[in-house]
Amino acid sequence: MPDDSPTGPPPDPEQIFREHAPRIYHLARKMLGNDADAEDVLQDVLLTVMRKLDTFRGDAALTTWLHRVTVNAVLMLRRKQTSRAARELSDPLDVFKDDGEHAHAARPWDAPEARVEEAERKQLLDAAIDRMPEVYRDVLLLADIQEMPNADIADALGLSLPAVKTRLHRARLWLRNELARHFEDPAP
Amino acid sequence: MTCQQLVELLLDFVDGSLPESERCDLERHVCACPPCRVYLDTYKQTIRLTRELPCEPLPEALEERLRAVLSLRPKCRKPGA
Repeated sequence: MPDDSPTGPPPDPEQIFREHAPRIYHLARKMLGNDADAEDVLQDVLLTVMRKLDTFRGDAALTTWLHRVTVNAVLMLRRKQTSRAARELSDPLDVFKDDGEHAHAARPWDAPEARVEEAERKQLLDAAIDRMPEVYRDVLLLADIQEMPNADIADALGLSLPAVKTRLHRARLWLRNELARHFEDPAP
Repeated sequence: MTCQQLVELLLDFVDGSLPESERCDLERHVCACPPCRVYLDTYKQTIRLTRELPCEPLPEALEERLRAVLSLRPKCRKPGA
């Protein structure tokens, strides 16, 4: 929500566009899974923020507000899309035996930076995040890419704080398991 | 503490919010269990790699369209571009 007691000059529209538009677009694109919808969300969010410029003071308040408005716009768009394919929600903790030991011992990752070039590494990560079940992906994008505090993520997604932490942990485990296929040292 | 119980605590462990008694149990387990040591390391690497993902610039055509819609000045082009 915009600051209630503005002091000092409002933010510069050009600066807002340069600093925030790519992040908003990236977030919307990863949450929605397509470019056209992300472009619509970005345009709507930017038009809204430009209309309310006078009410903002301080980049922190603006960033928090932009994240919230973007997530709201994405969730509204999703609700309109009736044919979203549900993705199977696998539990990344289903890799343990009954006694709680690892079913398959993880192998070390030989410095991903050395094993895979940066562009390929980005492609692997992007593709894995795209395949991730939506309930995990939303929280991962907001926490580990947008670097929002868990409490703000809970507000934006309408979840409890424990639910955000559970989903974030599952998301990281899911992603770790996916990346392991590419980064693990070869079996001896 | 089993390996599965350890993995369930990793989120709080890496962000430093795990209570001290559980943190000590976890660290003892990690010292004695090579698979969990590897798991913890690769969990941390996953977070690091995700956070290092670069935020790409807007596609050129989208940026130009939005600048027109928002009445911002056109993007400065590099000399010779």
